Amino acid sequence: MEINVIQAALLGLFACLASMPGMGGSAIGNYTLGRPLVGGLVCGIILGDIQTGVLVGAAMQLLYIALVTPGGAVSADVRAVSYIGIPLAMLALKSYGLDAAGQEGIGLATSFGAMVGTLGTVLFYGTATMNLIWQHIGWKAVKEGNFKKLYLVNMGLPWISHIACSFLPTFLICMAGAGMVDTIKEILPMDGIAMKTIFTVGSLLPCVGIAILLKQIISKGLDFIPFFMGFALAAALGINLVVATIIAMMFAFMNYQIKTSQSVKVSTVSSLEDEEEEDI
Amino acid sequence: MKKLSKKALNKSFRNWYYGHLTCFSQEHMQTFGYLCAMLPIVEELYDTKEDQQKALDTYTAFFNTEPQLGSVIVGVTVGLEEAKANGENVDGETINGLRAGLMGPVAGIGDSLIVGVLIPLLLGIALGLSTGGSPIGVIFYIIAWNIIVTLGMRLLYFKGYELGGKAVEFLTGEKSKALRESVMMLGSMVIGAVAATWVNVTTVFQMINEETGEAYLNLNDQINSVLPKGLTAIFVVFCWYLISKKKMSPLKVMLLLVIIAFVGVLIGFFDPQLQY
Repeated sequence: MEINVIQAALLGLFACLASMPGMGGSAIGNYTLGRPLVGGLVCGIILGDIQTGVLVGAAMQLLYIALVTPGGAVSADVRAVSYIGIPLAMLALKSYGLDAAGQEGIGLATSFGAMVGTLGTVLFYGTATMNLIWQHIGWKAVKEGNFKKLYLVNMGLPWISHIACSFLPTFLICMAGAGMVDTIKEILPMDGIAMKTIFTVGSLLPCVGIAILLKQIISKGLDFIPFFMGFALAAALGINLVVATIIAMMFAFMNYQIKTSQSVKVSTVSSLEDEEEEDI
Repeated sequence: MKKLSKKALNKSFRNWYYGHLTCFSQEHMQTFGYLCAMLPIVEELYDTKEDQQKALDTYTAFFNTEPQLGSVIVGVTVGLEEAKANGENVDGETINGLRAGLMGPVAGIGDSLIVGVLIPLLLGIALGLSTGGSPIGVIFYIIAWNIIVTLGMRLLYFKGYELGGKAVEFLTGEKSKALRESVMMLGSMVIGAVAATWVNVTTVFQMINEETGEAYLNLNDQINSVLPKGLTAIFVVFCWYLISKKKMSPLKVMLLLVIIAFVGVLIGFFDPQLQY
C-alpha cells in the first residue's frame, strides 16, 4: 500500500480543517472531522479501504474519547492522531499483514495514536503562536476603525498558520510513510521485547482515556457505583451500548425526579419556617 | 427604539458558530471570534464610526470559555448591547463584568456536559455501531452531533438574547443543577459500558505444575470469575487514582504505563502472543 501525492495532499487539507484551532470551526472541524472515528472513515475513503480505516479510527478513538482541553491546554492533538496516525497505522497493519479487527491490530493502532498524538502537541503550539502575528494585524485594524479586516484576520489569515503547521507536516510524513513503516519493521521484529511492549502499551493506553473522562465526573469513591453498573451491564451481561444507554437514562431520569422534588420540598419548608418566624 | 434585525442576529450567530476558535492563540484565545460575532450587531446599532469603535472596544477584553455552551454568553451580551444603544442603564463595564463572570462557570459546565458526557456518549454508541469496520456508526455520529450542536447553539444564542440577564439565573439555578447531576450519572454509566466493551487488558500469567505440566493457576480466568474483565477495571481505577488523586498529568501516566508494560513483558505477565 502506497500513499500518492494527491492522497497526501487531501489528508493535509483535512488536517487543516480538523485541528483544535481549526479552519472547519469547532463543531464541524474539531468535534466532527477531528474525532479519530470520523478521521478513520475519511482516511479510509481517501486511501481506498473504508473498513480498515474505520477499524483503526475506532481503536484510536477510545484512547481519545475524552479529549477535554481545559483553558486551551492540550494533552494530544487530534489533527496528528486522525490524519497522520491513522494513515501510518493503516500502512503498518498492511505491511505486517495484521487483521485490523483483531486484538493485535487494535493494539498497534492505539500505540501509533498515542505516539503521534503526543508529537502533534508541537503542531498545536506552533499554530497558536503563529496566529499571534495575524492578531497583531487585527488590533491595528480595530484601532484604525477598519472593522471589515477583522473577518480576514479571524477567518482568512490563519490558513497560513495551518499550511505551515498542519498541511506540510501531514503531507510530508504521509509521503514518507511507507518507507518509514518498512524501516520500523526491519528494526523491530514482532516477537522482540520492543514490539511486545508496544502492543501491551496499546492495550493499556485506553485506560488513560477513560480515566481522563472519569476525572471530570467522578470525584469520590462512591461516584464509581454508576460507572461499575454500566461496566457490569456490558462485561457480565453482554448488553450493547445503546441498550446500556437506555437503562442509564432510566436511572438518570429517576435521579432528576428525586432531586427536583427535594428542592421543591426544601423551598416550601423554608418558606413555612419564614411564616412561623413572622408569627412569633 | 432600536431593534436588531433578524439578519444581523443570524450573521452574528454564524460568525460565532464558525469563527470562535479559528484565530486562536494562547494570549487572546477566543477574543477575535467574539469581536467577529459582535461586529454585525455593533454596525447595525451605531451609525457613526466613533460610536462603533467605542462599542467594539468593550469586546477587545480577553475571552475564553466552552464555545458551544458559550453561545448563551454571546446572546446575552447582544441583548445588553441593544439595551445600551437604546440608552438603558447598561454600560460597557457592566457587559464586560458579566462576560468575565460567566466565562468561568460556563466553561466548567460545558466541559463536563458537552465534552465530558454528550460527545463520549454519542461516540460510544457510534463505536458500537461501527464494530467490524462498518461506516454506519461514523455516519450516525456525524449526523447526530451536528444536529444537536447546531440547534443547541442556536437555541442558546437566541434564548440568551431574549432573556438577557435572566438567562444567567437559569444557568446557575437549582433545576439546572439537578439536570447536570443526572446527566453526569448517565455519563458515568455509559462510560462504564464503553470501557467494558472496548478496553481489554489481559494477562498470560500462569502457575504450572512441574510434574503434569498442567496449569493450576490461570490468573486471567481467576480474575474474570470474580468480575468479568476485572483486570481492565483495575487499570481504569488505577489510572483515575493517579490522575485525580495524585494529580499526575495524563502524559506522565502514559509513560508510567509504558514502564509497566515493559516490566510486565520481561517477567512474562503480559504477552500479546504475536507471530509473523
